[in-house]
Amino acid sequence: MNLKNIFQKLFTYEPPVEYNFSLPEGTQNTESNDNQAVDSVSDTEETINIFPSLNVNLEYMKTKYNLLINSDVILRQFTINARGKQYNAFLVYIDGMVDSEIMDKFVLEPLMLRNKSNLYEGTQSKVISEAVANNITVRKVKKFDLSNYLMGCLMPQNAVKEATDFDTVANGINSGNCALFVDTLSLAFDIEVKGFKQRSVNSPNNEIVIKGPHEAFVENIRTNTSLIRRIVNNENLVIENLEVGKITKTKCAICYMKNITNSDLVNEVKYRLNNLEIDSLLSAGELEQLLVESNALGIPEMISTERPDKTAKYLLKGRVIVIVNGTPYGIIMPAILIDFLTSPEDSNLKVNFANFLRMLRFLAAFITLLLPGLYVAITSFHQEILPTGLLYSILSSRENVPFPIIVEILLMEISFELIREAGLRVPSAIGPTIGIVGALVLGQAAVSAGIVSPILIIIVAMTGIASFAIPDFSFGFHLRYFRFAFVLLGFMAGFLGIALGLFVYISFVCSLRSFGVSYTTPFAPTTESKGNGYLLNPIWKREYRPSYIASKKEKNQAKISMKWKYHKKP
Amino acid sequence: MTKSKLGTIEAIMLVLIIVVTHTISSLPREILVLTKSATIINLIFVSILAILFSYLIVRLMKNFAGSDIIDISEYLGGKVFKNIIGIIFILYFLISSSILLRNFCESIKIIYYPMTNILFILSLFVIAICCVNRLDFNASLKTNLLILPLVLASIIFLFFANMNKFVPQRMFPIFGDGLFNTFVIGLTNLSAFGGIAFLYFLPPYLKQPEKMKKIALISIGISAIYLMLCVATLLFMFSFFINTNEITPLYNATRYIEFGSFFQRLESIFLLIWILAFCCYLSITSKFAMSIFKKLTNIETKKPLIDIFGLLILAITLVPKNYAISDKFETEIYPYLVLGICFGLGISILILANIMKRKQKKIQANSQTIS
Repeated sequence: MNLKNIFQKLFTYEPPVEYNFSLPEGTQNTESNDNQAVDSVSDTEETINIFPSLNVNLEYMKTKYNLLINSDVILRQFTINARGKQYNAFLVYIDGMVDSEIMDKFVLEPLMLRNKSNLYEGTQSKVISEAVANNITVRKVKKFDLSNYLMGCLMPQNAVKEATDFDTVANGINSGNCALFVDTLSLAFDIEVKGFKQRSVNSPNNEIVIKGPHEAFVENIRTNTSLIRRIVNNENLVIENLEVGKITKTKCAICYMKNITNSDLVNEVKYRLNNLEIDSLLSAGELEQLLVESNALGIPEMISTERPDKTAKYLLKGRVIVIVNGTPYGIIMPAILIDFLTSPEDSNLKVNFANFLRMLRFLAAFITLLLPGLYVAITSFHQEILPTGLLYSILSSRENVPFPIIVEILLMEISFELIREAGLRVPSAIGPTIGIVGALVLGQAAVSAGIVSPILIIIVAMTGIASFAIPDFSFGFHLRYFRFAFVLLGFMAGFLGIALGLFVYISFVCSLRSFGVSYTTPFAPTTESKGNGYLLNPIWKREYRPSYIASKKEKNQAKISMKWKYHKKP
Repeated sequence: MTKSKLGTIEAIMLVLIIVVTHTISSLPREILVLTKSATIINLIFVSILAILFSYLIVRLMKNFAGSDIIDISEYLGGKVFKNIIGIIFILYFLISSSILLRNFCESIKIIYYPMTNILFILSLFVIAICCVNRLDFNASLKTNLLILPLVLASIIFLFFANMNKFVPQRMFPIFGDGLFNTFVIGLTNLSAFGGIAFLYFLPPYLKQPEKMKKIALISIGISAIYLMLCVATLLFMFSFFINTNEITPLYNATRYIEFGSFFQRLESIFLLIWILAFCCYLSITSKFAMSIFKKLTNIETKKPLIDIFGLLILAITLVPKNYAISDKFETEIYPYLVLGICFGLGISILILANIMKRKQKKIQANSQTIS
């Protein structure tokens, strides 16, 4: 940075960049009048239409797909028999992405081989209708149209689209379709023949439940949307497709319930997705970072889930889901703090057990974030808080430890993180070994060697176990990361440091908004308790959708949902 | 701040935070010293007066819907008067919060960090406030909303946990040093309701301005109950002749809490909660001061002011040479500052503005009848 830039930075006023999108509180009964325009960013590249000359098209495709060096892009030239006439044509597809059997049987065979359909004499025109009046026969005929003929008679395919420009054709080819170019036609046929190998639907790996369904998303977007559609089972579920990334043109599906989700929220999601100027989008994690308003503290502002049932549950509450092709995760938006402490298991359990678990998770979050810091603060500054007996035992256990408490705790916490990271990265077969080695070497051996005190092992272990109880990986990661800050603050100024740190932390959390919804809702700002609380109501009492989502339908179920019990029999 | 709209509960909490922080510091001690065993009676009397005053403020502000005291002073005396009143309120917020910060930090220093330089403790607070002031006003309000219930709960806990040590006879003689002392000299205790200062600035920020009356009455009512709990705890626990010189008397009361042999010294947990409340107070007052400054100077954003106001607070906290001087300011000058600015100046402006408005209306009505 040169001197001029430094001066400019010092003295030039730059207006603050503030992005203010907010959802109104309560139910959105009417459609928003000022629907934002969600036009995609205008593409600077000109779209080139398909030429009527086959040779020109052939050369263009060869250049576009670098056919001289690209090994998996296949260009198959052949002759079509149609009404006794022959037309030159070629097919373009990517090897490995198409089903060869479908290609052979349902594309090439009907087009190339002589059969009843294409042997038909082609000179006469097609008779559409015929009427006889006063012995005069009036026939309504249609002139022969090759494209209609091909579409109607020679392609026994369920999904064939006509494309007039090369971009549409390329999009189809890239996603596993094949493109058919025919001489004299200034259009191409985008024929669906997808057939690439993909992972089948498996049980979830990271969000395991006991009583819920055992299906997880896969990498294929269409499989994922079908999983959701099967659960929601309603025509109001809208799944819109968008492409993100100039090069990768990654398909993203925006899913929402047309009759429930707030239109402004849907528009906002579309607006943000449409206004991403990036070359590539490879995962849902990347998209998540691109869509958040603020990355302060690294707190997740969207829920990532691999469970279609969880996705459907949030859809029906009025949220928007985005699925990225190639990622077995759906992103749920907006998300608030309490969403990260809830598990899909909760709704499957009896309300008192579910609430017990929720309180436990809240405690787990508190322990993960603050326990090591509090331990350092208490042992360094506020020993009086401990009963004398416990204080003696802590002091005696630390007697042989040569390090100050901060070194001791950082040593153990960093070791713990190393074990965790190593456990994740090593092949699954030796994963448990890492855990055993970690526990034995860094636990028992470190205590025996007098490097750390036994009480500290308990603190670190409790923190670690508590962090595993957080249902959301990103949120747990965030808490684990910030516990180091609280350890340092606790060491620096005891409870004063922790209180100041906590104040700054809470303020930052309070300042966050996820798609216009305050992150700390329903606690701050306080909202009506209808359907908003952290603790669950009994299932018959969950009548309302959360008001902070401002959904179109306020009610989830009837006031008396268990009609079998309270319905008066005639 | 102009974008932030306050809900009713947020506004109530905003008014409460001033009382709460002053109570944590030395307010209950001052009240006890002044009115001794008549404190309960005095507090009831003073609370009724505060509620009446707040009602009066709301009534007087009703004619200036959506305006704060700065707008009203502009209406009354033009831009110069507006600037003067604005500066007075900025100084009031800055000085009161800075001196309170100094006293609180001195107490913390005495209790936990006797070897630490006071500048270090003060700087920690100022850094935290500067960080938080970069966020929007709503963030501070929400933080306040989350933290204040904890503080209120801690005081209720303090009251009930110490109940077994209460000596109710300490409230006798019920009129303390006499009626004059209780009801006339004791009027100074009205300064406990310094939260009224925020009432002058609330109307433009309320989501539902029609609920201003409710906000004022509930907040002053809760403040009164809260003060009563604090003062009662101290009055019933300690002899005011012995404990009047104790720093942070509530902290002293927490040291007596014990449950069995395990929970015997819980005072540091209380201190942790109170530090959080204190930070909230500092952040909110400095944000109010900044927004008044912004209003006076018409600057686009208050972002450049954040560090300047932070340094200003730090500078003011360092003005008193020692704890004795800052404590003297808090006990002897601050009450009169509150009475003068919140009750004297504020209400006078409102009354005069109302008279002016009525006169203008009369003139308008006359001119209409003539025409």
